[in-house]
Amino acid sequence: MRIACLLAADLPLTAVLRAQPELAGLPLAIVSGVGPRAQVIAISAEAARAGVRPAVSVVHARSICPALRVRVASPALERAACETLLDVARSLSPRVAVAPPRSGVYAAEAAVFLDASGVGSLFRSEQGFAAALTARACGAGIPAVAAVASSRGVSLLAARCIARGLLQTAQTAQSAAEGSRAAGDNSALQDAALVLAPAEEATFLDPLPIDLLDPEDGLAEALTRFGIRRVGELTRLPQRSLVTRLGPGVRRLLALAHGEKDTVPLPGAVETRVEEGVDLEWPIENLEPLSFVLRGLLARLAERLELRGLVCGDLDLELRLAGGGCDTRRIGVSAPSGDPRTLLGVLRLALEHPLPRAPVEGIALATEGRPVRTDQLDLFRPAGPTPSALGRTLAELEALCGSERVGAPHLVDDPHPDAFAQSPFALPGHTRKAAPRPGVAIAALRALRPPVPAEVRAPRGRPEWIRSAVANGPIVGLAGPWRTTGGWWSRERRFAFDSFDARTEDGNVIRLRFDLVQGLWQVDAVYD
Amino acid sequence: MPPLRPAFSTSVDSSRLERLLRDLGPQIRRGAPPALPPPRCPTGIAAIDGLLGGGFPCGHLSEVVGAASSGRTALALGLLAEATRAGEIAAVVDAADAFDAASAVAAGAALERVLWVRAPHVRAALRSVERLLEARGFPLILVDLVGCEIRDACNPTAWSRLARAAAGAQAALVLLAGRRLAGTSAELALKMQPSRACFVGTPALLEELEVRAVLARTRSGAAGRAASVRLHVLGSAA
Repeated sequence: MRIACLLAADLPLTAVLRAQPELAGLPLAIVSGVGPRAQVIAISAEAARAGVRPAVSVVHARSICPALRVRVASPALERAACETLLDVARSLSPRVAVAPPRSGVYAAEAAVFLDASGVGSLFRSEQGFAAALTARACGAGIPAVAAVASSRGVSLLAARCIARGLLQTAQTAQSAAEGSRAAGDNSALQDAALVLAPAEEATFLDPLPIDLLDPEDGLAEALTRFGIRRVGELTRLPQRSLVTRLGPGVRRLLALAHGEKDTVPLPGAVETRVEEGVDLEWPIENLEPLSFVLRGLLARLAERLELRGLVCGDLDLELRLAGGGCDTRRIGVSAPSGDPRTLLGVLRLALEHPLPRAPVEGIALATEGRPVRTDQLDLFRPAGPTPSALGRTLAELEALCGSERVGAPHLVDDPHPDAFAQSPFALPGHTRKAAPRPGVAIAALRALRPPVPAEVRAPRGRPEWIRSAVANGPIVGLAGPWRTTGGWWSRERRFAFDSFDARTEDGNVIRLRFDLVQGLWQVDAVYD
Repeated sequence: MPPLRPAFSTSVDSSRLERLLRDLGPQIRRGAPPALPPPRCPTGIAAIDGLLGGGFPCGHLSEVVGAASSGRTALALGLLAEATRAGEIAAVVDAADAFDAASAVAAGAALERVLWVRAPHVRAALRSVERLLEARGFPLILVDLVGCEIRDACNPTAWSRLARAAAGAQAALVLLAGRRLAGTSAELALKMQPSRACFVGTPALLEELEVRAVLARTRSGAAGRAASVRLHVLGSAA
């Protein structure tokens, strides 16, 4: 089995640059909190060139580099960046897994493993696959390195080698030992991608520093005390004696150093939910700047969905409000869309009614990815509105009239004369055979919602005269009654009506009913 | 033999021509190919379609007005049925909240192709119509304002704005109301009048309504023509 590892070495920095690409090329420091004593946890290459180092305070860093831009590390952004890495992996392999979180010097890295077995036929070579992986990650705003090997451990070590600039040393040592490296490896270096053939792995691992295996502090100290600095030196020691002396923790290191194969297979991808989030440094009070932040979130969400061949469905928006509390909304997207502009329009309308009750400190946006609409327009059917235009229009109509007042009508299986129903409107996917058109013109009913109360004279149970807001005067034509009953099992919902078709002297033809439960006369519809 | 002279000097002619153009000003228009008659949305009721020259014109605002029981809604549902049966998507903006799904199905409409907007008031209804026209792709939009308070709800310019939007979207915008509202912005106005209701049998059953449609306004052809229509009541028609 072949495993690829896609690694982003400096996640806090990568996450901020992904959300704010305008900061690329500037001296930038990511700090762990707010205030002058906040510690710098990550720096850009430009900041490093200016002399800034991690683990100093913000004040110190600014004194070294006055032009330094400072951003607070955002767990929401880092989570989203890590998931984006996973999406990139999913776009190229069916089986992917996130590497478990690390501690110490590798705490800032994010890595995912992919099943790379048999990819050579798709990408010409494993080298091509690794290069495609890094290119796609870069396209998603996450500069990452990739390595392909026979196990997760070796691929992770190889990726760390590239990320930390150790590959040159390792290769030189390896080439000196074997003299058999392929000529294409220089391009691999340039592309931040490396492929290790199974036979080469032991030779590759030998000269690597032992720190790359990420030993625990106590173990690292003991190994240093023993004078073990390279992986090769560790593998040459007798394993049983080593475990006896250093404890069971060394087993993991030995497995990594020997490049042992994985026993647990990588899981298949089933998750279609995508989340993006941002923690704001200052609370936002107005809709306009909030839209600006939402635009970025939506663009990133759409990019990630596109990697998986999906578009955006209903949106779950969570606004973290100043002073505690949360504003959670589910925003329906009638026509799934991958267009951030359309989605932003829908979000804005949803946020206008009602506005968030307090300034916003953090935003989380999630959606369930939907498959791209595959309905091919019919040559013999008129083209309807585009899905994106329809989605936006429906959202606007719902904002204007209320979400429960916009939709497609449908017949309800309910005997109550006042029953009606609407379902969410969606573009019909296929041409259904229409019901036959009646050969004659049909008189329609106009429903009166709610029914209009009427004063009726009915001396022998048959209405003879009416006074109401709809029709007045003597009844000159009458048909009925027809009794409709239902809901007898419930005191609140039971109903019983005697309905009549009646024509009044003023020319109106109405449907009149007597409510047997309440003892009231009502006009519930007009023939028109 | 003297040389032949032109009947008029070219320089004089051009200056005259310029003066003439200046004087006539806006009365002169650039020549264009003759405009084709707009496509029509038929109602499926032969007498009405004959009166309208094939149906309601696409790209224009039309009005159907009249008293209760005059057949306005039957006509609108006929339009809806024809449009949806042709595979088109239609919108019903219902400020009166009077749409009856059973009647629409009986008229032959495909409900899954109908977008029903139950506008809470006239202002929301007119804004909804604007949004639908902007979206394009709705070739038929019915606006039901029967029985609604119109006076303060809409600006008189709203109708001309809607008519322009309908022309841009090439949609047939049909307004149902108790009286005429759109004035000269309407391409045509059809006035419906109830004639009689026919009860037959013992016990009596309402069998049909007879109504009369009068072409109250049209920009193409003569107004004042009328047609009678018999509307069969649901149940007795089957």
